[in-house]
Amino acid sequence: MGNKKNNERKKKTHLPFRLNVLFFIIFLLFASLILQLGVVQILNGEEAQEEIDKTENQTTALPVPRGKMYDRYGRLLVDNQSLYSITYTPPKGVQAEDRLDLAKKLSQYIDKEFEDELRLRDLKEYFYLENQKEVQNRIDQEEAEDLEPGEVYQLELDSIKESEVNDYDNQTKEVIAIKKELDKAYALSPQIVKNENVTQKEYAVVGEHLNELPGIDVTSDWKREYPMGDTLSSFLGGITDRSIPRSKMEYYLSLGYSRSDRVGNSGLEEEYEDVLRGTKEKVQYTTDSDNNIVDTEVIREGERGDDLVLTFDSELQKRVNEIVRTELTKEVQRSYKNRHMEDALVVMSDPQTGEILAASGMHYNRDPDEDEQRVSNVSHKVLYDQYPPGSAIKGASVLTGLHTGVVSPGEYIYDRPLNIKGTETKSSYSQLGSVNALSALERSSNVYMFFIAMRMMGNPTFQENAPLSLEPGTFQRMLKHFHQFGLGVETGIDYPYEAPGVQGSNPGPGNLMDFMIGQYSSYTPMQLNQYVTTIANDGYRVRPHFMKEVRQPSKGDKKLGPVNSSFNTDVMNRVVMSNQYIDLVQNGFRQAFQGSQGTATSTFYPTNGENVSYSPAGKTGTAEASKLLDNGELFTELENLTLVGYAPHDDPEVAFSVMVPYVGKDLPMGGDKAINLRIGRQILDAYFELKEEREESGVDSDVTGSNNANNEDG
Amino acid sequence: MKFEQRFDWRLFFIMIALVVISCFAIYSAQQSGQYNVNFMVQQLIWYGLGSVMIGFMLLLDPESYKKVSLYLYIFGIILLAGLMVAPNELAPLRNGSRSWYIIPGLGSIQPSEFMKIFLILMLSKVVTDHNYRRKTADMKSDVLLLGKMVLVVIPPLFLIMLQPDLGTALVFLAILAGTTLVSGVAWRLIIPIYGAASFLGVSLVWLALQAPQLLDKYLNVQEYQLGRIYAWLQPFKYESSDGYHLIKSMRAIGSGQMYGKGVGGSEVYLPESHTDFIFSVIGEEYGFIGSCVVIMTFFILMYHLIQIAHRANYAFSSYVVVGILSMIGFHVFQNIGMTVQLLPITGIPLPFISYGGSALLANLIAIGLVFAVHFHQKTFMFNEGRLDE
Repeated sequence: MGNKKNNERKKKTHLPFRLNVLFFIIFLLFASLILQLGVVQILNGEEAQEEIDKTENQTTALPVPRGKMYDRYGRLLVDNQSLYSITYTPPKGVQAEDRLDLAKKLSQYIDKEFEDELRLRDLKEYFYLENQKEVQNRIDQEEAEDLEPGEVYQLELDSIKESEVNDYDNQTKEVIAIKKELDKAYALSPQIVKNENVTQKEYAVVGEHLNELPGIDVTSDWKREYPMGDTLSSFLGGITDRSIPRSKMEYYLSLGYSRSDRVGNSGLEEEYEDVLRGTKEKVQYTTDSDNNIVDTEVIREGERGDDLVLTFDSELQKRVNEIVRTELTKEVQRSYKNRHMEDALVVMSDPQTGEILAASGMHYNRDPDEDEQRVSNVSHKVLYDQYPPGSAIKGASVLTGLHTGVVSPGEYIYDRPLNIKGTETKSSYSQLGSVNALSALERSSNVYMFFIAMRMMGNPTFQENAPLSLEPGTFQRMLKHFHQFGLGVETGIDYPYEAPGVQGSNPGPGNLMDFMIGQYSSYTPMQLNQYVTTIANDGYRVRPHFMKEVRQPSKGDKKLGPVNSSFNTDVMNRVVMSNQYIDLVQNGFRQAFQGSQGTATSTFYPTNGENVSYSPAGKTGTAEASKLLDNGELFTELENLTLVGYAPHDDPEVAFSVMVPYVGKDLPMGGDKAINLRIGRQILDAYFELKEEREESGVDSDVTGSNNANNEDG
Repeated sequence: MKFEQRFDWRLFFIMIALVVISCFAIYSAQQSGQYNVNFMVQQLIWYGLGSVMIGFMLLLDPESYKKVSLYLYIFGIILLAGLMVAPNELAPLRNGSRSWYIIPGLGSIQPSEFMKIFLILMLSKVVTDHNYRRKTADMKSDVLLLGKMVLVVIPPLFLIMLQPDLGTALVFLAILAGTTLVSGVAWRLIIPIYGAASFLGVSLVWLALQAPQLLDKYLNVQEYQLGRIYAWLQPFKYESSDGYHLIKSMRAIGSGQMYGKGVGGSEVYLPESHTDFIFSVIGEEYGFIGSCVVIMTFFILMYHLIQIAHRANYAFSSYVVVGILSMIGFHVFQNIGMTVQLLPITGIPLPFISYGGSALLANLIAIGLVFAVHFHQKTFMFNEGRLDE
């Protein structure tokens, strides 16, 4: 091989010279570049700069409409209403006659309100312009010479009699009204001629005739519109009114916003700001020394923001809103004991995907303001408000007990009041006798949960009237298990804010026993929903979410554009408990709703035979509650009523949580179920009724009108 | 010998200088806001990718590159031909040319950029083999060599003209011219051929100005295709069309004067200034001084390449380096020349400086070849009887 290369090497004796020639050519070419650069930059540089200075460049970013929001079936939730306006920017040196001409032309294209707009002087000014010569002759010329021009003009106007201007027809009056708007404009700054009720036709026609209307321009703007009213407004959030929030000024400016931009400042408008905002159109205007625009150059085409398809089923949402509203009102009004009750909260989701189907929160206003309704929509409270939920969380307690091995599936514990030194007597709502894991859930035994707590604390056997020992770290171990269900941690929902729940600190043995029956820590309805979803999902905790898809702006009028991205089901974790234990709890939940001794059985399978067909499962909850009143008094005769569940029990397609805080204690029920049960039954009924209706007649694509016919009361 | 001694540190530092210049220039260019993209970061990612590629390229010696050159050449031709038959989703029409493959999820690649490298390798192989086999240097042998070289250039040239992409076609011709010059073909052949080619070029421009109808009649060149030449010579007459870029570019570079307007001081808006017209931004913001620094950096690179071609003791290596030198040299001259009215405008980027994945990657592969030549030189060094530094 070396020999071959040697041969090849010998053959290239010509190379050094040729390379030098090549290098010389390169040298010449590069030298010519530098020479030419010298000519362009040094010899002619100043000229080029003068050329630039003659004109001035100004870059403007024009706002584009925000993305819209739809519900899961493509029904419009947030729209942009176009606002058109017609503006007038007078060139320098425009005379009144020019403006009158312009007003006459413009009156052919637009309608202008003139009733109550015109004063006598306006009419006279018009008369003057139309009959200038004649009016000027009415004045004594010699007298006029000594006067200021303004005074002369006043005299001239005075000489016009009312009768001369009184019989102007409507057409003329309209011209006068338009001219009056034009007269208000200052040179070179835009004045709005008409911006209210500009029709699309006016906008288009004026736009077509801009060349014969010097100074006139048409612009378009938009404002947010909510075709479904306040059905979901609490979540949709709001946008600022032509300013970016002062507190985040630097942040938004660095993202290319300008100070007068509208940005989402709450709810989903804020959460998905980057999706909804769109891309501004960037235009460079080149103006000469007279400020005339000599060149307009679009540097970047703008594009409207992307649309959001949300997970809500607005039809279901409407029905749930109505159920919650009706039940809350009825409950508050039926007993004096409910005088401190104010909210009822519901979350419904698809357990398999984490999609929120409906989330409703209603607030009862005892002293409504004039423009306020008795019951107002406060749906966001399902994320913001947290209360101890009571027994609803016992699924997590039993799983914790089973997993840590302090109780076993077959073990029976005798449910009776427990006397413990240092705390008050602890018991279930009545003495239930022997219960195992299954019946403890069906019948909501507190004592069973107390035993789990006591054993985790390091008390393998219970001794009457003895103090309890408490191993350090017990609370942390309990929390670690509860967190896996989303209880006491953020659910991870796509929303700017969610309350993480209140865990409590440094609890004693009695507190830890209460913790296991949901009487110590507080949770939001959304957390409860995630918890019951995790049990429905065989232990997989999915992230709840409001966004289903992001879609590109549609080209046509109504249809949705192509999908840009979609929210994939996000499994946040799988609880550590084995499938066998989860099956057991699912069974317990089914027993609680369907078993002969279940705490919710009479609601879903009442004796009057109005049984449900969707096989629900879940858990009831009642927590003792106290409320700090405005007068500083702590009112304790209250309960938080909750209900969590899902249906059908074997293949859950809907999961829900209901929370009604501060219901009066020991209410006279008068044959009625408690409010948490009433709401629970009705929202599940509503879900499955809707499903049935849709199987028969498809999805109703327009539910903007009132659609409350299907609501049952009570 | 150790890696530190075999590695071409000079070339490495020249490349670092070019990376720095590229970052400054692209950063300046993207201030116009034509696209909401941070091209500077993307360019650095491409540089990173190219560096890794160069690292792998060091593993092969020039002999190996020579062995694969025919296959690479055929591969390149297939890619270019594929553009003509590929469906629209795969090879879309962009700016009137079909030059790109879209690779879903990765982006787009421009096969013509890589064809340049393959062509350099193939031409070098042809020349090396020819010179090895021939017995005597006579006219007949020279004509035969020239014939072979032209045959190698014609297929890619033809496919490029189909796209159409005049700029790249000219680069192919520049590579051919450079390689021919060092191939050993006698001066008495080279001088007439180069002379004839120059004459042809000049007369075409003259015809375009004086008698465009003749071009239309005999060469089927439409008048609008000559717009670039008209705009080059009389930009203000064609300000609204072909002259637009030139006027803007001249105004930008000119107003930079001696010292430039500083980073972000640009006043002239030029579309696509981060790619083909990056030199206009350099001229405006960094002035005559900055522009000269850029040109001098390229000149040092050219000088270094000549040195390597000199020292290489394997003929193939020298030819490859000369081919690369011709390619980069022509790119630089054409690109800068068009921004200052020295040459008509063609869509050719400034190597290593302009933003662009395929072009940058191809140029880095070229530099990788140079690194490899230097890296594997030691084997024959003692045959030469002289020590490298």
